[in-house]
Amino acid sequence: MPIKSTLRRFSPVKTVIHAGVLALLLCAPIPVFAQAMEGGEQLFQTHCARCHGILGEGGEGPSLKRPQLNHAADDTALLTVITGGIPGTGMPGSWMLSAADAQQLVTYVRALGELPDEPMPGDPAAGEIVYDAAGNCASCHILNGIGEGIGPQLNGVGARRNAEYLRRSVTSPEVEQPKVVDRFRGTLNAFLTVRIVSEYGSYEGMRVNEDAFTVQMRDLAGDFYSFEKAELISYDKAFGHSFMPGYASVLSETQIDDVVSYLMTLRD
Amino acid sequence: MKYLENVRTNTGFSVLARWCSFCLIVGSLQFSPALADTPYEDLLADEENGADWLSYSGGYQSHRFSPLNQINSANIDQLKVLWAYQMQPTSISGAGLQETTAVVADEVMYLTESPSSVTALDVRSGNLLWHWSPDLSNEVLNIGFPRINRGVAVLNDKVYVATLDARLFALDAGTGAVRWETQVAENSLGFSLTLAPLALDGKIIVGVSGAEAGVRAFVDAYDAETGEQLWRTFTVPAPGEPGSDTWQGDDWQTGGGSTWLTGSFDPELDLLYWTTGNPAPDWNGDLRPGDNLFTCSVLALDPDTGEMRWHFQYTPHDTHDWDANQIPVLIDAEFEGQQRKLLALANRNAFYYLLDRETGEFLLGEEYSYQTWAEGIDDNGRPIVIPNSEPSREGNLVWPSLQGATNWFSPSYNPQTEQFFVANRRMGAIYFKADAEYQPGQPFLGGGEQALDGDQASGAVIALDAMTSEQQWEFELLTPPWSGVMATAGGLVFGSSNEGQFFALDAASGNPVWNFNTGSHIRTNPMGFAVDGNQRVVIIGGQTLFVFGLE
Ligand code: HEC
Ligand code: HEC
Repeated sequence: MPIKSTLRRFSPVKTVIHAGVLALLLCAPIPVFAQAMEGGEQLFQTHCARCHGILGEGGEGPSLKRPQLNHAADDTALLTVITGGIPGTGMPGSWMLSAADAQQLVTYVRALGELPDEPMPGDPAAGEIVYDAAGNCASCHILNGIGEGIGPQLNGVGARRNAEYLRRSVTSPEVEQPKVVDRFRGTLNAFLTVRIVSEYGSYEGMRVNEDAFTVQMRDLAGDFYSFEKAELISYDKAFGHSFMPGYASVLSETQIDDVVSYLMTLRD
Repeated sequence: MKYLENVRTNTGFSVLARWCSFCLIVGSLQFSPALADTPYEDLLADEENGADWLSYSGGYQSHRFSPLNQINSANIDQLKVLWAYQMQPTSISGAGLQETTAVVADEVMYLTESPSSVTALDVRSGNLLWHWSPDLSNEVLNIGFPRINRGVAVLNDKVYVATLDARLFALDAGTGAVRWETQVAENSLGFSLTLAPLALDGKIIVGVSGAEAGVRAFVDAYDAETGEQLWRTFTVPAPGEPGSDTWQGDDWQTGGGSTWLTGSFDPELDLLYWTTGNPAPDWNGDLRPGDNLFTCSVLALDPDTGEMRWHFQYTPHDTHDWDANQIPVLIDAEFEGQQRKLLALANRNAFYYLLDRETGEFLLGEEYSYQTWAEGIDDNGRPIVIPNSEPSREGNLVWPSLQGATNWFSPSYNPQTEQFFVANRRMGAIYFKADAEYQPGQPFLGGGEQALDGDQASGAVIALDAMTSEQQWEFELLTPPWSGVMATAGGLVFGSSNEGQFFALDAASGNPVWNFNTGSHIRTNPMGFAVDGNQRVVIIGGQTLFVFGLE
């Protein structure tokens, strides 16, 4: 049997995982806007929410709660983006929409852009201090080039995520796990905890990639490992586990409000 | 041409081919059969002939089985890439997903490239012999599927390709020059052709896509020499025709029933087997009450007249887009103590079926993959539907997803072991129902789905006992596959994954014995041939076609 080579340990590289692509899993309850837009809302949830978030707050695709959109200066351009997609990017054309439905979505996306910014629960300046000091967040996150890349890069997280999501990330991180969306493989957990036992020892870390035959993992020291599944004694995927500590018991209510407010200001 | 006997240089081939095309044109000189010839007799023998692979499924019975055994589990660790071919760039937007199965005839490989081009390659070197592209417009409609093509048919001195804008072309096999073309249907109504045509004796059979645009679909036959239409059989009956009582009002006019995958043929029974897709609109069944015959069915047609001899509907009144456009596999074997002519089909709806292909009699219907929509199949072959498993306004979680427990990509049947191999998708979806109003050339869907994908889904290659559907083994894949399988007489099953691996499994145990990372997603079927007596195995990963062999 030609399955050779067992564990290969790459030279320790403290590489940042390109966390760029993060999507929100569809489990939030369906909101109802006061406007007479149920049609557009329903369409948005069916066709767009898996990438742009159930509230349009962003995920794999950018937040659409912005009055100005880069690719859609006017409604005609927006219609083209919706039906034809943006070639060369992860934004697909929605072939399944009738002309009337596509028009409803244009109206809906524009209305998302009119929504007022969410109120901040605390003081972002104080939150920045919590981030640097009490939270020690930079020990795991790279923000504006600074920190360690254990968790996702946080640049622009305030544009990608809404306040509720950010709060949950800080207090119960295992609930919100960023996803990586692959056109052919679907939505995979980007920071899945894996526990692996081979004849050489036991390993724990975050899955970087996987196929039917192999799995690649990065541990908390930043080292990469590659395993042949057939040679493993055990391989467990710990869905719902996070290496990020839940901060509800570490930080005060006020500190959490402040750090969430700080994250909300990280918009690009 | 027989395996091991066929040692001929390409120079000889091409010169003679050109010479003979010349003969045909001047029509005066007598000449023995041209080397670029694939006579009907060769197509009849395709199944046993391991050197060539003359039609989409490697023979009229659609076994996708290579009778070659040179490559086996004892030597497969020496399998290597002998050459690769990179697809040509195209300016058509959205093109570039490759789902073709190459055919090999007389040491030339013919494949299609997305969206509708044809390429001829020398099977020894991989060098390009010719490449042909139709004058497609960027505005071509393909409603409900990407801009792909699944391959050509070859017959005599021509290569046949169906195009995205619903035309059928006959190309000169030696040069790629157009012999004739015909417009099969109106692309502006949403008709499109992506399938590999099927060549019979003097005829080319094609089917259409378009149910997502509310077309009324059909199967067509064309004269292979002239392109003249010989017959057309609609898959949705007009009022008064048999089956019309399963429709109400004018619903039949936009009834769907696409015929977008290549069928099979039994020369002895002289029956053509063709499968049909979903009724339209897809997810809102309220708009088309009734069983909606002959959607989600297999039809047995008289190849000379198109007349329907029998039909069997797998999913009456489908509301999940579970097209029956899977490969109908023709099997001669002993079923429950009796030698029978069977038609086996692993359906998108998660059930495996055996029919008597002479009469259409239902023999067996068993679940082969997890599903939540039917308690089983009754004695007449009708599913016992679980209440509230249809799409709803709020969304309804049902297994399998709309892409089904399998899909267009091919299964494989090993006649030596009576094993049926299926690339299996294990994925549920939340199905939505919405309003739909028919407008020509517009999506006519009535809903959609949110698939539970990625880490919530998985896939497998499974081996079934073809006579009982009992699962013998499974080889698990990380994500639901979009690529078919091919078994070989060497005791192997070749398959592939979205992650890009092309792999071989031991057919008896399902254990992986070899794998190769092509570096890109795979969305096509393996095929095989031989040159100079040496077995070859072919797959496409991303934009690259790879040819493997031992030396
Ligand atoms: C498969 C994921 C996916 C889906 C589904 C999706 N989008 Fe996108 N969308 C993206 C990505 C990724 C981008 C960013 C593209 C880029 O790199 O510029 C994007 C960009 C956009 C933009 C442009 C934003 C800007 O700033 O210019 C709009 C508008 C948009 N999407 C609307 C929609 C709508 C409406 C739907 C539903 C009909 C939808 N998208 C469905 C992934 C998706
Ligand atoms: C021990 C490492 C570690 C520390 C310390 C840490 N994080 Fe995380 N963080 C992670 C990981 C890993 C993830 C990925 C998701 C998961 O595993 O839950 C994550 C995810 C997040 C996310 C979600 C990002 C998204 O786009 O979905 C946010 C926001 C976040 N962290 C903020 C913080 C803040 C603020 C702090 C400090 C108060 C912090 N983290 C401290 C490891 C850490």
